Amino acid sequence: MSDILEQVSTAIIEGDLDEIVDLTEDALDEDLGAEEILNGGLMAGMDYVGVEFKAGNMFVPEVLRSARAMKMSMEILNPLLVESGVQMMGKVLLGTVKGDLHDIGKNLVGMMCEGAGFTVKDLGKDITPEEFVEAVKEFGPDVLGMSALLTTTMRTMESTIKVLEEAGVRDKVKVMIGGAPVTQAFADQIGADGYASNAASAAELAKQLVSQA
Amino acid sequence: MRTNYRMNSGVRFQMLSDDQLEEMFWGVLHLLEHTGLDVKHEQARDILEKAGAWVDGERVRIPSYLVKESLRMAPRSFTLYARDGNHKHDIRIGPGRAHFGPGPTCPNFIDVETMERRPYVNSDVPAVAKMVDALPNIDFCESLGTVSDVHHDLGALYEFAGMFPNTSKPIVAWSYDQHDSAGIHQIAVAEAGGQRAFEQRPNYVHYCEPLSPLVSTFEALDKLIFAAKHRIPLIFTPCPIAGGTAPVTAAGIITQGAAESWMGLTVAQALQPGLPFFMGGVYSVMDMSAMILAYGAPELPLFMAGVTELAHYAGLPLWQTGGCTDSKCFDGQAVIEGSMSVFFSALTGGDLCHDVGYTESAMTGSVFQLCAMDEAIGYSRRIARGIEVNDDTLAVNVIQDVGPNGHYLKEKHTRRHFKSEFWYPNLLDRQDFESWEMTGGLTLKDRTAARVRDILATHSPAPIKPETEKAIEKVLAQAEERVQE
Repeated sequence: MSDILEQVSTAIIEGDLDEIVDLTEDALDEDLGAEEILNGGLMAGMDYVGVEFKAGNMFVPEVLRSARAMKMSMEILNPLLVESGVQMMGKVLLGTVKGDLHDIGKNLVGMMCEGAGFTVKDLGKDITPEEFVEAVKEFGPDVLGMSALLTTTMRTMESTIKVLEEAGVRDKVKVMIGGAPVTQAFADQIGADGYASNAASAAELAKQLVSQA
Repeated sequence: MRTNYRMNSGVRFQMLSDDQLEEMFWGVLHLLEHTGLDVKHEQARDILEKAGAWVDGERVRIPSYLVKESLRMAPRSFTLYARDGNHKHDIRIGPGRAHFGPGPTCPNFIDVETMERRPYVNSDVPAVAKMVDALPNIDFCESLGTVSDVHHDLGALYEFAGMFPNTSKPIVAWSYDQHDSAGIHQIAVAEAGGQRAFEQRPNYVHYCEPLSPLVSTFEALDKLIFAAKHRIPLIFTPCPIAGGTAPVTAAGIITQGAAESWMGLTVAQALQPGLPFFMGGVYSVMDMSAMILAYGAPELPLFMAGVTELAHYAGLPLWQTGGCTDSKCFDGQAVIEGSMSVFFSALTGGDLCHDVGYTESAMTGSVFQLCAMDEAIGYSRRIARGIEVNDDTLAVNVIQDVGPNGHYLKEKHTRRHFKSEFWYPNLLDRQDFESWEMTGGLTLKDRTAARVRDILATHSPAPIKPETEKAIEKVLAQAEERVQE
């Protein structure tokens, strides 16, 4: 690995927000391609972070810092990647369903997905089925993630999926769901494509869903 | 600047009032002056008589001024040093500092591979010492057993020879007699770089046990005299049993036990003024149906809290007890009894808390219990550390910045504090059900066994000096020769 890629990857691991932009530009100045920087620098760093997080050696605030560094670098690389026609990781659309104001878990999923290289759009909370449909049409996500914390609001996931079907966009997007009361059985029952029990596995799941598409 | 502002840096715990402590203190002095103890060591009786005690045959009574003088000479604060200069392994004895470690001399051991009970053997010693060296909340070393597969007079010596190279944390050494004590001391002094260097940086503590009720045995005093002469920090720890060898009441057992320790204190300070001295030891009840000394009874931590407060009132550090159980296996009972007693011990700030890892009422040592208790001690220490209050921790500005509907995950304040404010478990599971199931659905017992085996397979303690290796060989060879004669 070249020195500069190693520096980029270290800046990702350390969540070095002060240096990551300069390092990304330095790498480009050295005539490295955007894809090379993405894979050899950013993803290499995030892979390490993922392993350390699973092993219990890194913690959520540190992973989020790394994810933010990744996002800052991606803002520079994205236009170049699009230009050169590189296959991107994909887009994730997130929201907490109507009637539910609990969103710390969904926020975590968003940050973990960014760390995994996804472009994430977070609609926020208390999102109606119609708002989800509108956003799917507009943003064109590969994966739609919905969350609910309450047993009373998790049913809204089912009605949201129905509205997606009625609007004719259900087959354009993979749907993953999560939240404390949600289970794999519930996901199967309402016709979601996947369920994850925590934010880190949600990012993993999003990767799997995209590769199936 | 702040004025007239009082801060509590940790959880405050006090059971007895100053009036109660004063009454107990004078109860002990009265007992020593009027009843006295049988002292079964002629030289010790001479030392005591010369210091001002009244000797009548074997019975020795000590006037209260002499006990108070001895208490005044003994330090409340001093350091026990890691043999390798690793400051993290030093133990600083002083107010508000609780330390933990295993106990000695269980006949049996829970086998690391099979988890079955069997006699304790010589090869178990390095394993226990390595565990002590690696576990973050275990501060000093004892062996959790009496070696059964060497000559019956040499168990203590082989034990020290096995522990010393396998941990640099300070060791608490017991012995059968002065021969053992001398061999142990040769090893420790070789590593320290001579007697004078040892006196400045003692790397082990000598442990002796008087007999309840009210007997200072020949062996206990003979070893005490050796330790005092060589300025080895000393533990003088009785093991009174309420209702059997001591009064059935808490205040009564504490009064008697303290008198047994302070007889030793008086001999030690007469020989070596200022010698670091811990009073002890194991105070519990005789279970009136099972007829055992109960290591898991709630009275043990309760009595120990009382002794700790009396010791600190008198200005002495305490040899505390906790982390032990009457259970025969690694189960809920073992964890309840062990965890409750280490938590209570941590709250009292008793200086060296031993017997962590005892099971079956001290009949069987277990590194699994030790490892689980390391976790319980970490948990207890987090609580005992308390709540810090200042502008930064109040976080009024951070709350203002985040505001309603925000979150704190990205805040610098969170990143700065999340490692020190929160305690992170090594054994306790907090995964969601799916992750727990996917990682094998392991129980606390499974995870403890895995951690024990992982530490034993991977941990390497700091080595001893080559001259210490030679000293160990020489001491063991001489001892073998002595017992052949």
